[in-house]
Amino acid sequence: MSFSMRKTYAPYVGPYDPCPPIRVKSYDTPPQLYLGFQPPGLEQFPPREALRRGTLWRALYSPYENPYKPS
Amino acid sequence: MPKETLPEEFYRLMEDLQTIDFVLVELTLYLDTHPEDLEALKQFNTFSRRSRDLRQTIEARYGPLLQFGHSYSEYPWAWADPPWPWQM
Repeated sequence: MSFSMRKTYAPYVGPYDPCPPIRVKSYDTPPQLYLGFQPPGLEQFPPREALRRGTLWRALYSPYENPYKPS
Repeated sequence: MPKETLPEEFYRLMEDLQTIDFVLVELTLYLDTHPEDLEALKQFNTFSRRSRDLRQTIEARYGPLLQFGHSYSEYPWAWADPPWPWQM
């Protein structure tokens, strides 16, 4: 899916930086930032899967996506 | 209590208990902020009943899970026998 919760920004790179500059940095924005007050009756994972995924609510599931090793 | 490893079924039951208790934790946190959500509250009571029943089944076969009166004890007094939670 093209939409990703990972946002990027370009830090300022000075002319005298001793190390090779990091031109693009990214940060993850979890779903609860967009959710506000959780509405009742959200879809749930089945219990066993909820334990594996770490949350009961499908909408709030946000695994760590490693930006350095895109899977 | 036996010294050799416990049967596979024990671990399956414990994982089921962990799954149910995880759902209970999630529902507790949800109900803290949604006290009027009847659907979630019914689900909470269902799962808490399942958790209690499962606990009784496990304790009947494999000994107490909790202490200080939260679990019945077998004879002789053997709550200190392995496996401890980190040894399971």
